Amino acid sequence: MKKLSIISLLLVTLMVAAVSCSDIKRKPGRVYMPDMAYSRAYETYSASPIFADGQTNREAVAGTVKRGELLPFHVAKDKTGDTSNYYASKLVKSPLGEMSEDDKKEAERLFLINCAICHGPKLDGNGPLWKDGDGPYPSKPAALVGDARYENMPEGQMFYSVTYGKNLMGSYASQLDRKQRWMVIAYIKSKQSKTVAAPAIATPTLKDSATAKATTK
Amino acid sequence: MFQFRTQVKALQTAILFILLISFSLRINAQEGKALFNAKCASCHAIDKQLVGPALRGVEDRWGGDKAMIHNWVHNSAAVIKSGYPRAVEVYSQFNKVQMTAFPELADKDIDAILAYVSAPPAANTTPGSAPSSAGAPADNKDDSSLLFGILTLILAVISLILLQVNSNLRKLSDDREGVHAPEPVPFYRNKAYIATGAIILFLLAGYFVFQGAQGLGRSQNYQPEQPIFYSHTVHAGVNQISCLYCHGGAQDSKHANIPSVNVCMNCHMGINEYAKGPKLYREDGSEVDGTAEIKKLYQYAGWDPTTRNYTGNGKPVEWIRIHNLPDHVYFNHSQHVKAGKQQCQTCHGEIQKMNEVYQFANLSMGWCVNCHRETKVQFADNKFYSIYEKFHEDIKNKKLDSVTVEKIGGTECQKCHY
Repeated sequence: MKKLSIISLLLVTLMVAAVSCSDIKRKPGRVYMPDMAYSRAYETYSASPIFADGQTNREAVAGTVKRGELLPFHVAKDKTGDTSNYYASKLVKSPLGEMSEDDKKEAERLFLINCAICHGPKLDGNGPLWKDGDGPYPSKPAALVGDARYENMPEGQMFYSVTYGKNLMGSYASQLDRKQRWMVIAYIKSKQSKTVAAPAIATPTLKDSATAKATTK
Repeated sequence: MFQFRTQVKALQTAILFILLISFSLRINAQEGKALFNAKCASCHAIDKQLVGPALRGVEDRWGGDKAMIHNWVHNSAAVIKSGYPRAVEVYSQFNKVQMTAFPELADKDIDAILAYVSAPPAANTTPGSAPSSAGAPADNKDDSSLLFGILTLILAVISLILLQVNSNLRKLSDDREGVHAPEPVPFYRNKAYIATGAIILFLLAGYFVFQGAQGLGRSQNYQPEQPIFYSHTVHAGVNQISCLYCHGGAQDSKHANIPSVNVCMNCHMGINEYAKGPKLYREDGSEVDGTAEIKKLYQYAGWDPTTRNYTGNGKPVEWIRIHNLPDHVYFNHSQHVKAGKQQCQTCHGEIQKMNEVYQFANLSMGWCVNCHRETKVQFADNKFYSIYEKFHEDIKNKKLDSVTVEKIGGTECQKCHY
């Protein structure tokens, strides 16, 4: 009788253990030798008690120029409500000369990764986030090709917008370095000049006046 | 009679007139939509405040003064200068950002846009019916291992009973034939049984001990709960955002960086609700409120969605790191992504289908080495490997058809341990 009760108790505990075992693993598990597995030094994303914000990751000192990097963009960001620098940036010219074939390919790759998500792989402002209004994005991204406003926008002003953000677009300075930003703009400009003869997008009543008036603003 | 006829005629013209008006209004609204999308939609939405205010009810807010709205669209700066109260109010309310002037829009174009934005909203197309089909919790997958376990148990019991029956029958037949059989021992005292049981137990225990020991320090399937329910299915799958948009460091450095909050805000300045994607579930089956998760992001970013400004009280999100290599292993992302041209999914699994990311590979040394033995280096069009002149020559002379990572030193100890 005693044996039977012991056996049944064992069986019950086994079953409970089997049922209570979840297959979602929320804990990483254990290691053999923690001092070999975990770094004693502070790693990139580890917390640090030394700095006030508690992070090990530091920003570069202001004014740092990376080796091989282009010199800084000297037009500062506009204060809220001011647009003078945005217009002043029109005069800035791209420091890149003619791009090599490799650079062109790289520029296209960068555009497809960072910009095409909104502005569309065809630069028509119809990226996967907009999808003719079916995507999650609430406003229509700029059509970089086919809209006179962007066809005529000087490259310096584009650089300003990519660097500091404009309207709903955020700053891409943390994702693309200065050379990459100029490369992407050169890519956009190369696409625009190719299609400049194409008719403007579906604005039937305005097709003629659009190109003439857009320069006035 | 005569009077009746005039009445009918009047009615007819009235109907015709109404039809005409409604038709022209509809045309107006359609044209308005095209114009709205082309000219206004990058800053305005109908029911949502973006860079500029939501446009529904704009005529009421301007006191029905259409002429003034025309002036505003043509040249907002002049209207502000003239001191028109509503214009000044809007201007200061939106951080003094001036609206682009649209001198090219004729008055009737603006009227068409106004007709479009004041049209009643289209009936919601059955919310929730389409998304619910995708991403239902995976609790209905039949657990075949349990079924097999039960079957095995039943078969084992049957075979035991049959064995017992067999021995009983043999005993009966032996008795009849007069063969004296020794007194049978119960099965729990039978040495053969005990030995078999002991061996099985020993093997099982050995197996589990080995598995447990080997699993120490490896965390395959580790799936921690993150501070924000960030679904890779929605971002990388449904919305097709490239992995490198957020984790650009993977091509430039040792680390595939975790994006800082400003990268999230590139899109979420505009996207402030989760409305169009599939329904989301946590691993335990509870449903996720996507909009609430985006609100959490605003908390971290220090973004005030009503005034559309940063409050300056942001703090970084403390994401929980999933993939950890021991400190004595060196691993470099850019070497694999940029030089080796590997896909992220090779090591991280189908990230674009993971709502909550888990560790796909076990990241053991055997796994690394195996891949280095099997993977062929992409020698063609890859300047990184141009120094291996002999291999290039051998490939050109058809002596070699491919070079594995092992052949260029990919299994040397000090490549990863130094």
